[in-house]
Amino acid sequence: MARVKLAVAATAALALGLAGCGSPSSNNSSKPSNGATGGISTATEAIDATAKGPAAEIPGAHKGGTMTVYSQATPNNLDPTDIYYTDSAEIAKLVYRTPTQFDIRNGKPTLVPDLTDLGTASADKLTWTFKLQPNIKYDDGTAVKVDDLAYAIKRSFAHDVFPDGATYQQTYFKDGDKYKGPYKDGLTYSGVETTGTDTLIIHLSKPFADLPFYMTFPLFTPIPQAKDTKQDYQSHPLATGPYKFDSFTVGSELKLVKNTNWDPSTDAARHQYVDGWDFKWAQDDVKTQQQVLNSSGPDASAINYVDIDASLVPQLTGDKVKQLVQGEGPCTFLTQMDTRKIPLEVRKAVATAWPYDQLWKAAGINDYIGERASTILPPSIPGYTKYTPLPGLSGVGPGDPVAAKQMLTAAGKVGFELSYYYDNTKPIPQQVSQVRTEALTKAGFKVKAIGVATADLRTKTSDYTAPVNMGQSPRGWCSDWPDGTSWMPVLFESSSLANGLSWGEMTDKSLDAEINAISDLAPDAAAAKWGPEDQKIMGLYIGMPGYYTKMGVVKGTNVGTTVGDPTQGMPLFQSMYLAS
Amino acid sequence: MEPLAQEAEVAESGMLSDEPGAGSTGPGQRVVTRGKSPLAIALTRLRHDRIAMICLGIFIFFVLIAIFAPLLAKLEGQDPTTFHQDLVDEYGFPTVGPNSQHWFGVDPRLGRDLFARWVYGARPSLIVAVSATAISSAIGVVIGLVAGFIGGWTDRILSWIIDFVLSLPYLLFAIAVPAVLLAIFVGNNEGASAEETATVRFWSLILVLSFFGWAGLARLIRGEVLSLREREFIAAARVLGVPRRQVLFKELLPNLVAPIVISTSLALPTYIITEAGLSVLGVGLTEPTPSWGVTISAAETYYRADPLYLWLPVLGITILVLALSLLGDSIRDAFDPRTRR
Repeated sequence: MARVKLAVAATAALALGLAGCGSPSSNNSSKPSNGATGGISTATEAIDATAKGPAAEIPGAHKGGTMTVYSQATPNNLDPTDIYYTDSAEIAKLVYRTPTQFDIRNGKPTLVPDLTDLGTASADKLTWTFKLQPNIKYDDGTAVKVDDLAYAIKRSFAHDVFPDGATYQQTYFKDGDKYKGPYKDGLTYSGVETTGTDTLIIHLSKPFADLPFYMTFPLFTPIPQAKDTKQDYQSHPLATGPYKFDSFTVGSELKLVKNTNWDPSTDAARHQYVDGWDFKWAQDDVKTQQQVLNSSGPDASAINYVDIDASLVPQLTGDKVKQLVQGEGPCTFLTQMDTRKIPLEVRKAVATAWPYDQLWKAAGINDYIGERASTILPPSIPGYTKYTPLPGLSGVGPGDPVAAKQMLTAAGKVGFELSYYYDNTKPIPQQVSQVRTEALTKAGFKVKAIGVATADLRTKTSDYTAPVNMGQSPRGWCSDWPDGTSWMPVLFESSSLANGLSWGEMTDKSLDAEINAISDLAPDAAAAKWGPEDQKIMGLYIGMPGYYTKMGVVKGTNVGTTVGDPTQGMPLFQSMYLAS
Repeated sequence: MEPLAQEAEVAESGMLSDEPGAGSTGPGQRVVTRGKSPLAIALTRLRHDRIAMICLGIFIFFVLIAIFAPLLAKLEGQDPTTFHQDLVDEYGFPTVGPNSQHWFGVDPRLGRDLFARWVYGARPSLIVAVSATAISSAIGVVIGLVAGFIGGWTDRILSWIIDFVLSLPYLLFAIAVPAVLLAIFVGNNEGASAEETATVRFWSLILVLSFFGWAGLARLIRGEVLSLREREFIAAARVLGVPRRQVLFKELLPNLVAPIVISTSLALPTYIITEAGLSVLGVGLTEPTPSWGVTISAAETYYRADPLYLWLPVLGITILVLALSLLGDSIRDAFDPRTRR
């Protein structure tokens, strides 16, 4: 259940056009379909416990200037405890340092130490110990104490005050389901303790091997209890990162300036190249993207972090191609089939008839914002393996109604009814459904597309007892951290049904055991096993892969080389610089 | 208007004539005069108004397009709902321009034929506008007549209703009512097919436009009736014991032709614009109904890459509305006795 939020968050962000991923192929021309298809590299090392500050200089980076950042969607919250959306999480990296963090190396996220080390687990895996680095200061010059880290964790349990934040701590931390945060239950909480000046100890109720990954979330940034003003804290929070708040107007603008108390020698990933940031929200994306492309005056030093609008794609020719920043995203979209209700032979026939190309076009996806998928794990996950796609699950092609009909006839299931929900109040979902219905009907299926209003859609699609047999939610999944354990156990174990987060609705004890066995391995060892497991689950025809998300945003001509942050599908702000 | 009609009626009988030549024909000779009803006078004037005739021609042209849309599409060999996604590239842009198979090209993403969608798109605009005009005029005239003629409490209640309707926020209702009707008629929207939804939207749009359109006309008619009912010919009819219904529809109504015609001819283009406007906002007609408003809304972001997609329906609406507005103006001028040309 805990992971609903990010999926929700990420899909909501996607709906607003915020996700992204892909591959830096700066010489791709706009129109033809030879877009950014290459560039998927297999992730190598996911963890580097010995990384030390300062972060390696970026060749050609230049200091100074103010970066303007545009977006139509406004981050709903910048309180560290409440952040769960990709845009605010990326901005948070400039301001809030966390116990651990991701360094983006060759486009791949690597877990490195930040305020603390990467932690050590006890033999029973229920106690984790983190050591705080010495001499870290807030922007007001006061020292960061290990108690502040503990307080921030306690604060994250106050879900009545901070309803949007992540909730893994409630599931995994000791007494996490009972403690309601410092405002209600006081400071006594058995899940967190500190010893000395530098040791943070976290007690768990069940093993949580990914805790160091989770500690990258902004909710773990230190907050001194004396400075906590509850909901008002976000208007002027204490900064530990390279930038601090200058002024923040909720919903329209955030100005960041340099934090002089940030010491680069303690930070293994962040940079402080520009003097300041000016985030301008609630501005029409097509308009600001055009401004950024034109790059006249101050817009040359600007970036828009929303995926490029399809109508602007034809302009990406000549020098303008260099203004496109591409990167990988953390999500895969997939149309699932309910394995309880559709027999395997029929599922295979559906996959054979599936009109991948037509759906891709009808949904308005292009290879700047997505890449055809043929696996469950997206390329940003270590262990992602691009195996030879299974028949009918390649993610490309127009579908083969004739072959599908033969398969259906052989199985004696001609006229099998497929049913799913779609949003009948918006033109694109309605058209996509029409395309799908047409193709499946041609292959001999009976299609029952049930139109529902936007407001009802999420409720209906998350109900696994609903009278439909495909297309239930989640329709896309995004990683909370780049590791197979934030995918496979969540989506394919029996418990996923109760959590409303299942692809295929499978309840297979032997599969559960298999996934658990891999999850218990060390991340690097597990990575090698996730690829074959992915292929095995796909072989059960749990659904038709749609696409991996990509980031394709535009930057001004004066903005230096920019890379994507695959953990958020956003430009990696912390490494951006201006050319002059 | 009424005095003119009386004059004409009198003139028709030949007993009296205000024509200057009448006196010079000498005694004994029958005075031949041709009486004209105000409608006839107005029509004559209109017939000589070149702009009005051109605009009428344009209107008829669009009506013909709407009526023969299936035929035109068949002539081209296409229909408005078939996808031709092989004519659309990976980015959703059409790979073909206007050609012999697709006279106006195809739409982005789906590859539906734009000519077929354009000719079919004339239908909802005209049907919605004409039905809304007809319904709202009929209701407006009846309510106005009754309120003005009967007076008393009936008038007070009806006037109150008219004021109430006029004070309702039009746009808010136009946005809210289709959703409510959808919920009522297709039960919580569950299982409604796209076509059902589109049909409900279509009828609810007519309903909303009619509901808000009648009040203005009713108030106008009521005012006219208030001044007419004190006239002698009405008084005479009442004294003679002519039934009330006959007084209303035989005596009063003919004298109200001018305001009614003027009001409807001006309302028609307004309804076309409202329909398109609401569809662009996403609360009017919906996919898969081929409608100009829906197309414009979808084409907004493609104006640079695929100009025809946007400009054809815009052009259709602009020309139709301009023609109807000019025609409406001409009709008003023609009916207005003060206009002399």
